[in-house]
Amino acid sequence: MNPSEIKNLMISALDADTDAAEVSRVVEEEGISYNFNPDFGDKVLNKIFSAGIAVNREIEFVKYLNFAFYRVALAGVAAIVLLVISIFLMDGSFSLNSFLGLSDNYNESIVCLLTGN
Amino acid sequence: MISESYNVTDEKELVKASLNGDKKAFGEIVKRYQKMVARTVKGMLGDSVYAEDIGQEVFINLYYSLSDFRGESKLSTYIQKIAVNLTLNEIKRRKRFFSMFSHKANTEMHEFEIADHDTEGRKEASELVDKALQAMDPKFRIIVTMRMLQGYSTKETAEILNLPMGTVLSRLSRAQEQLRNILVKL
Repeated sequence: MNPSEIKNLMISALDADTDAAEVSRVVEEEGISYNFNPDFGDKVLNKIFSAGIAVNREIEFVKYLNFAFYRVALAGVAAIVLLVISIFLMDGSFSLNSFLGLSDNYNESIVCLLTGN
Repeated sequence: MISESYNVTDEKELVKASLNGDKKAFGEIVKRYQKMVARTVKGMLGDSVYAEDIGQEVFINLYYSLSDFRGESKLSTYIQKIAVNLTLNEIKRRKRFFSMFSHKANTEMHEFEIADHDTEGRKEASELVDKALQAMDPKFRIIVTMRMLQGYSTKETAEILNLPMGTVLSRLSRAQEQLRNILVKL
């Protein structure tokens, strides 16, 4: 095929109704083919299987970290919920003072605490 | 060695064996699909060292994502999607790299890619196709690669590129226009 025929082939490959498989076959027959180096497969396998152990360890570490985080986070959320419920039961409301552990006449209590009287 | 033959023909069996750590089975997958990946990666990036690295990355990604392959589509389609995504990411990365040094990022990137080719001993036809492809906008280049080098139908191209059919058809026509303009100059 001369260059102008190749150009026409390239352009025709982009017609929606062209049989692209046929174009691809002709292109390959013309020596327009792509491949990796002969040792490509071995390189890929070496990379995967020599790095495999390290990668697995890393994945396991991340898995355990996630697991530990979820356990801590769930326990924390449960403690907060219990605290909120206990505050409500003790003070009968969710006011800011009851969250802070202060009663309505807290000014005096603070003074007493600070002065010791 | 990867050159050893593997008797299993069913790709689902190969996937299953690979998931069980069978190195030979995964080697067979690499052997079967490396040419297909080479067409996509080298068609998009040019025949450079980077293309070989991206090709390896495709199969490494495939190995670690094999458990996500549910067998609903062909394995080749699944691999092709990985290849397309990694190649487009590499093009974006290169574009960012070049844009750090010049405002004319696209032009210089194309010049770099063409200059990077090992043109010695390559056929005139190959050179012509490479030069035309590398001068194209990546979003059109991928369409030409899928159609002309891989021989995919419009429907298959849409599935692999995860695009609606209408978008693929419109890109085909715009890619054809761009290709015509490029080929006039070559």
